[in-house]
Amino acid sequence: MAERSIIDQLDDAVSALVEGRQIDLGPELSALAGVAQDLVGLPRDTFKAELQQQLIRRDSMSSPAEQMETNAVRSVSLYMCIAGASAALDFYRDAFGAKELSRLVEPDGKIGHAEIEIGNIVLMIADEYPDYGVLSPKTIGGSPVRIHLYVPDVDAFAERAINAGATLVRPIQDQFYGDRSGQIADPFGYTWIVATHQKDVPPEEMQKEFDRFTQEHSAKKSSEAYSVNEDKMRRENRRAVTPYLTVHKPAELIDFVTEAFGAIEHFRATGSAAGMHAEVSIGDSVVMIGGAEHIEPKPTAIHLYMPDVDQAYERAIKAGAKSLMPVVDQPYGERSGGVEDVHGNRWYIATPFVPLQTIAKDLHTVTVYFHPIGAQRFIDFVTNAFGGRELMRHAEGDMVMHAKVQIRDSVIELGEARYPEQPLPTAIYLYVDDVDAVYEQALNAGATSMLAPVDQPFGDRNAWVKDPFDNVWYIAAPVKR
Amino acid sequence: MRQATESDERLLIEAAQGDPSRFAELYEQNFHRVYAYIARRVRDRAEIQDLTAHVFHQALANLGKFKWKGSPFCAWLYRIASNAIADQAKRKVRESMPQTNPTAESSSAVDLEEVERRARLFSAVDTLPEHQRRVIVMRFADEKSIREIADELGRSEGAVKQLQFRGLENLRNRLREK
Repeated sequence: MAERSIIDQLDDAVSALVEGRQIDLGPELSALAGVAQDLVGLPRDTFKAELQQQLIRRDSMSSPAEQMETNAVRSVSLYMCIAGASAALDFYRDAFGAKELSRLVEPDGKIGHAEIEIGNIVLMIADEYPDYGVLSPKTIGGSPVRIHLYVPDVDAFAERAINAGATLVRPIQDQFYGDRSGQIADPFGYTWIVATHQKDVPPEEMQKEFDRFTQEHSAKKSSEAYSVNEDKMRRENRRAVTPYLTVHKPAELIDFVTEAFGAIEHFRATGSAAGMHAEVSIGDSVVMIGGAEHIEPKPTAIHLYMPDVDQAYERAIKAGAKSLMPVVDQPYGERSGGVEDVHGNRWYIATPFVPLQTIAKDLHTVTVYFHPIGAQRFIDFVTNAFGGRELMRHAEGDMVMHAKVQIRDSVIELGEARYPEQPLPTAIYLYVDDVDAVYEQALNAGATSMLAPVDQPFGDRNAWVKDPFDNVWYIAAPVKR
Repeated sequence: MRQATESDERLLIEAAQGDPSRFAELYEQNFHRVYAYIARRVRDRAEIQDLTAHVFHQALANLGKFKWKGSPFCAWLYRIASNAIADQAKRKVRESMPQTNPTAESSSAVDLEEVERRARLFSAVDTLPEHQRRVIVMRFADEKSIREIADELGRSEGAVKQLQFRGLENLRNRLREK
């Protein structure tokens, strides 16, 4: 019993030490408590192992990036003209961790001159002064200069920037010249190439990699040119992910999207039992519309990027939609509003504060917005089933509030179901290279089969699956001849 | 911690200078020393980790510049660490954050002896019987309570306290042996 009480006493001492309190001990325990004292702050196994991994992975991990940074030439500075410079200063602080060095403010709040520091570069910023020919990208329709930034961790940097309202223009990926980099657009019309230097590539090797890169590129281009003629899907500007809106009265929905969003109808066919199938394009995207009185409708949530959100919203209301939310400026770099059409589809219309052409590479005019119950599991599913790749997420605790996932050349958006009308399961027409393989993959990832792969008379090989969230995926590829 | 002789260490350094993948051995031998050195001056675990990582990255990047002059390799690492701690303190003052770390920077002999002792203790933890080791690591490195450890290991709280006691006893004995 005596020993047990010593054991407890020692634990009291350990608890006190771990919590940073002092405690008086008898001589019999003081030696052990001394050992315990020295153990406070014992390094974690995981930390030691991870650091070792980092050191091995990059022979001299941060050194190339750090050397780049320290060798940077600083006699050249960019002087950026920005409409709304004050907002830009806030944005660069939140998005890029910029440090404000100075600002000169006019009585009306206009920024005459400001300097910020990002890493070790200094940027100068001022508002527009049209009288002096000082014009911002917003006024002249973009900037021909892109800003290249070396940062210690490009993935973390881009994630923070996107969460603060920047737009991913080109995904972050390893480049042949030894950088890991991508491009993001800020809400003020500037594009930033952000990079972390990973390894030095010797000049000969770099030339070799460059040759390979250009060859692949031109091969890809010519195969694209080939498919422009051959491939129905390319001809019609179709992406991998095409939303399929199923409603009772498809003809009325076509009228609505034409009136409200300027959709252009390409194709309409009416079958005997299966109802209508039609394809329209809105901006750069194709939307499929179908259904009939006897077919269960599947209303969908769509994120619609339009050049003029106010106009689109007004026209949608005039065409019979009801307002879900009026058009307002959002803190994340968009002006947006929402409407619900008479068929129950929810259209979130937005105009980003960047020119549309700069975001077009990543976001499409029409982006499907999923509201699954269990967003994390949904991301896992599209990753496993369709090779999806998460681009960004904004989470609160465990709950995914908003995320973007790339599937082949398309981006889908999603957020955990939070409102009574959600999850709003939808249907997607998904173009792939190999229908049979993707079908198998989808089943392995937890989908159930609705139709095993089969060649359809309309020229596509099709397989249909339903995912665990009740979304229907029509997996398709042109029939091989 | 195996005490490398001077010539052993010199060979290791030269090997790593020729082939950075050999740096792993130097890392293994000096990790606990550097960590203990920094932990003596800095309280916050995240900061200690950042600084430790910084020291080894710097050391690896600048290994080519290291010249053997007879003093042990860890002395060079301590100097990098000491500079990093001082830089960090300066940065904190600049950013006018509350300064948590006193940075009395001269490393007295007593100081280094203390660091060496603590580094040996950290290394000794790895030589404990597995159950004792796990309890000590969870308690001191992961900062878990006895109840959390008991839950995780599926043992009673009494048994965990017992393992903690035996572990500390063993560590004390091992330090005495050296």
